[in-house]
Amino acid sequence: MTAVAGHLISRNPRKITRMEQFFFWSLAVGLMAAATAVVTLRNPVTNAVCLVVALVFQAALFVTLEATFLAAVQVIVYAGAVMVLFLFVIMLMDVKAEARRPVPWPKAAAVLVGAVAVVAGVPKLVAAFPAAREPLRWSAQSTPFGAKELGSLLFTSYAPLFLATGVLLLVATIGVVVLCRRDPGS
Amino acid sequence: MIAYAPYLILLLPLFSAVAIRLFLHPFPRIAVPVSVGACLGSFLGSLMLLNAGTPAGGMAAPAVPWIELGGLKANFGLVADPLARLMATLVTGVALLVHIYSLGYMAKDAGRSRFFAELSLFVFSMLGIVFADNLITMFIFWELVGLSSYLLIGFWHQRPAAGAAANKAFLVNRIGDFGFILGILGAWSLFGTISFADLPSRAASGAPFWAATAVGLGLLCGCLGKSAQLPLHVWLPDSMEGPTPVSSLLHAATMVVAGVYMLIRVLPILELSTVTMSTIAWIGAVMTLLPALIACQQNDIKRILAYSTLSEIAYMVLAVGLGVPGPGMYHLVTHAFFKCLLFLAAGSAIHGCHEEQDIWRMGGLRKRMPFTFLVTWVGTLALAAIPPVSGFWSKDAIFAATYDRPGLAACSMLAGFFTSFFMLRMILVAFGGKPRTESAKHAHEGPPVMVVPMLILAVLSVFGGIFPVAEFLGMKPDHPHHAWTLWLSLMLAVAGFVPAYFLYQDAIKDPLHVPILQAKFYVDEIYQRGLVTMQDGLGRLADAFEGWVVRGFLVRGSGVVARAAGQGLRLVQCGQVQLYAAVFILGALGMIGWLLWKAAP
Amino acid sequence: MILGEITLGHYLALSGLLFLVGLAGVLLRRSLLIVMMSLELLLNAANLALVAAARFKGIPDPQVAVFFVITVAAAEVAVGLAILVAIFRLKKTTSAEDFSALKF
Repeated sequence: MTAVAGHLISRNPRKITRMEQFFFWSLAVGLMAAATAVVTLRNPVTNAVCLVVALVFQAALFVTLEATFLAAVQVIVYAGAVMVLFLFVIMLMDVKAEARRPVPWPKAAAVLVGAVAVVAGVPKLVAAFPAAREPLRWSAQSTPFGAKELGSLLFTSYAPLFLATGVLLLVATIGVVVLCRRDPGS
Repeated sequence: MIAYAPYLILLLPLFSAVAIRLFLHPFPRIAVPVSVGACLGSFLGSLMLLNAGTPAGGMAAPAVPWIELGGLKANFGLVADPLARLMATLVTGVALLVHIYSLGYMAKDAGRSRFFAELSLFVFSMLGIVFADNLITMFIFWELVGLSSYLLIGFWHQRPAAGAAANKAFLVNRIGDFGFILGILGAWSLFGTISFADLPSRAASGAPFWAATAVGLGLLCGCLGKSAQLPLHVWLPDSMEGPTPVSSLLHAATMVVAGVYMLIRVLPILELSTVTMSTIAWIGAVMTLLPALIACQQNDIKRILAYSTLSEIAYMVLAVGLGVPGPGMYHLVTHAFFKCLLFLAAGSAIHGCHEEQDIWRMGGLRKRMPFTFLVTWVGTLALAAIPPVSGFWSKDAIFAATYDRPGLAACSMLAGFFTSFFMLRMILVAFGGKPRTESAKHAHEGPPVMVVPMLILAVLSVFGGIFPVAEFLGMKPDHPHHAWTLWLSLMLAVAGFVPAYFLYQDAIKDPLHVPILQAKFYVDEIYQRGLVTMQDGLGRLADAFEGWVVRGFLVRGSGVVARAAGQGLRLVQCGQVQLYAAVFILGALGMIGWLLWKAAP
Repeated sequence: MILGEITLGHYLALSGLLFLVGLAGVLLRRSLLIVMMSLELLLNAANLALVAAARFKGIPDPQVAVFFVITVAAAEVAVGLAILVAIFRLKKTTSAEDFSALKF
């Protein structure tokens, strides 16, 4: 993408800005649409598929932010493994579609308050930190953080966390096995 | 040796009482003489003391140190000044005569060991009051006398009336004692001493008027209870439930006058306040008249004499209130003689009529019991203050002191009129006319043991006025003698006989009917109603308090509060994860928002 | 301003909106499966914010954080679905309203 972008940059400086904008907005809209679909649709399979789509859009957004390695990880792990797991479980449980029902007021209230908070808060945050107004510029010289940089950080500064995460995964595995065991004799 | 005489006189009856109670109870033949002997010993001792003059070591017997609290000192000591010696002789003498009389009166009673033990206890207690040298010691014996009275009034304890009367006596006394103790404590704090020897000098140095009044009135309460004056007089008529010797000894001659004795002892304090003195004088005056009126309509021979006792004690109280203790003591002495005589005679009449006490069920006794009839007449003359009998001199001395207080004079002289009236009524109905019942027809005189004491008392009633009591005590009153008091009182006294003669000569039933007098001015009923109301009120108040405050508010209330809090709080636990999450989000957003607002408004 | 240059603010706003959508899903849906999916959206919103921060600040550390978030999310999904399966076996339903045994 950077190479393509780099090529386009050198060709058309005025359009470059619009390129970042174009990609951002299209991906953003797509992401929001998919996310909304996940939350609103009734059929769980449809929801899962929409979630996959949302995750892919998310990965694309990572790329616009020059986090290529993470984009790859997102697709492989999140969309590839986690969502597959979801779909397996959906199939296993043979979940039916949900019926419509009215929403209790505390829940709606929470969501509304959250909406207000976000809509009111983000501009404030942005106004508070001047650094937030720095524009996004792709350039040929920028080097995204790759596996090398991340790996060196992981294994040095954040090594304990890394190890802990390993333990966490182990525990999760064991937990899942235990939870899914049927009672002996039943 | 003479210095220890008071202790010996005092303790002899105590030994008798203890010995009888502990060892000799099953042997009346031994117990009774022991008791009589103890009384005799005390009497002889008192006589010796009376004649001994001032002992070498002063008036007081050596004292035993007892309480010492900071500035307050109280010893347990006895004093043998002329007043105490006179009183001791009187008490033991009359007690001895009553002991001898009881030999005959109680001869057939199964509990006579107990009776004589209690009599000895009483003599001991009374002598304690007499010899006490300070208020605390006197108070101890005061209570002991109350105990003896309780035991003796309720002697025939199988009779519910006797038990009730004993309770009443004790309780009413207790009320008076409450005031008494307050007075003692007040005196102690005001004058720094409660010793009778030190009181005159301390009191003379003066005290704040109202403090002295309060103390005086407190001490007066003790007298009102013990001597049965207004408003605590209600127990004395009921005390007639006891055996007649008890009535004569305790409730005529000795115990009831202990109040007067005490007032004379603390007279220096009382004289500090004119309010106190006026109160005492007026209570005395009113109490001479009221019981005299009541007695005019009573039918129980002992009750009549009880009310007359109330009246006579009131004369003594009046004397104290007028500031003339000499005549008061004089009357105390003569009254002891003739009242005791009258009670013994009444006892003789009751005994002769086989335990009949209603005068309307007697009659014609003058023929069947002439001696009793005669001595009753002697006593009546003394009581009514007809010269030249002893009672006349003493009562006249008191009348003389009222010369400048017309209200008091009027009350007391009018009382004399009614006294004559009801006494003649009693004589005419009980002894005159024809026998009205079977038992009256077969009445007979008592044995010599009953006759001789009455004889002695009769003689004393007649001639006892010769003994110069007031001079002996050094309490001769120094006010001028006005002849009109003498003549007016005498005229009224004699005049009282006249209507009684016309109304009751040969009467079969009472021609007069005055309900308010028959009901004793409804005092008992008022007290009863008042007590019941008060207790009821208190009970209701306590119940309401317990019901509302304790049970309702505290117990149930705390339960309700806890439950309500629980009910309120448990609504939060809905079990719905999403609801928990919603609340959580709200809280978190709120906190973040607040933090941001604080940082950058 | 919004339609001008893309800035960190844009990404943060997007992250916020995504979070909101995920929140709505978590709170308002009754099927527990959908709730878990919405949970993933929440996590993704956080990831987006982190990565944006990394880019605009020029430091790699937020990306390490994203790495951890993804890992933990995977583990969490696994365990969560296991629990869901176990509950489903018991109650034969996945509606959130039916799981209110822990109430007063």
